[in-house]
Amino acid sequence: MAKKRERLEVIKDILISIRDNRKIKPTRLLYSSNLSPQMFKEYINELIRKSFIKLDIDDKEKKTFSLTKKGQEFLQEYKVIENFVENFGL
Amino acid sequence: MYLYDFIVLNKELLKPIYGLLVGIICGIIVLRTDKLFHLSLHQGIRYFRNAFFFYGIAFIIRYLSGALTFYEYINPDYNFIINIIFEFFLIMAGFFLIYSLIWKKLESPKENNRSSLFNIRILVFYILTLIIVILDYIWDVYYFLFASQIILFFFATIISYKNFSEDVKKHTFPKFYFIAMFLSFIVWILNALAGLFFEWSNIVLINIYSINVLIFLIFLYGVVKVTNFNG
Repeated sequence: MAKKRERLEVIKDILISIRDNRKIKPTRLLYSSNLSPQMFKEYINELIRKSFIKLDIDDKEKKTFSLTKKGQEFLQEYKVIENFVENFGL
Repeated sequence: MYLYDFIVLNKELLKPIYGLLVGIICGIIVLRTDKLFHLSLHQGIRYFRNAFFFYGIAFIIRYLSGALTFYEYINPDYNFIINIIFEFFLIMAGFFLIYSLIWKKLESPKENNRSSLFNIRILVFYILTLIIVILDYIWDVYYFLFASQIILFFFATIISYKNFSEDVKKHTFPKFYFIAMFLSFIVWILNALAGLFFEWSNIVLINIYSINVLIFLIFLYGVVKVTNFNG
């Protein structure tokens, strides 16, 4: 059985999916995240609240997610953060 | 014994240097971890940062004010206030440090505590800390401080040993973290023994101060090494 992903790892995977697609629709992001709809919603709300991603709605009411500057910085420093959390048992 | 004699003779000069050194080490740790926290918003990093913020304040207040008292810039009658503040920040720092290791079991990742200094869980630490400080003040002793820190670092040692032994990726620092926690546990026992049986012997105190610096240097080493990691 595959090991359950850590929270930080899930966040990284979501942000990478958004970054690789520049703009991504919610349904496509849900599939690529491998999360249940409920968990996906919780993570997305958290990422929006923490300003890592933003939700864009165009004139045709089409919703897409895109990465913010803070989200890009998180991805750049992800290895350091992950290493810190694991080394210090946080 | 030359070194001990030199330290004892110059202890009033060395105390503020000691306080400043620990304060600077804590300051560097706080700055490095604060940057990581703002990037990740990780609660564990936040509590770890708070622990060293409180340690830094405690040591700077205690030892710099001690020097000001010695050189008669502060009336010695007010020393008890400095001791109370020192004890308060020191105990809170210990609580933050152990909480950074166990927060995952007590908080949901969905929780959004706007402040890590003023929330319901941390309020429990403030209350416990105030009780310990008040009891020590009433009886004019440090026994409650010693007892609280020995218990706290006993559990911190067990948790850090568990983290070290279960570290499948074989990181460098969990071993040092465990050593630092074990040394802290020993230092608090030595502190209690120094007060109870050795009448605050200078030699015992010098060893305690030396181990304390070593503990903070271990943490500084870990933080600098890990935050300089580039994958």
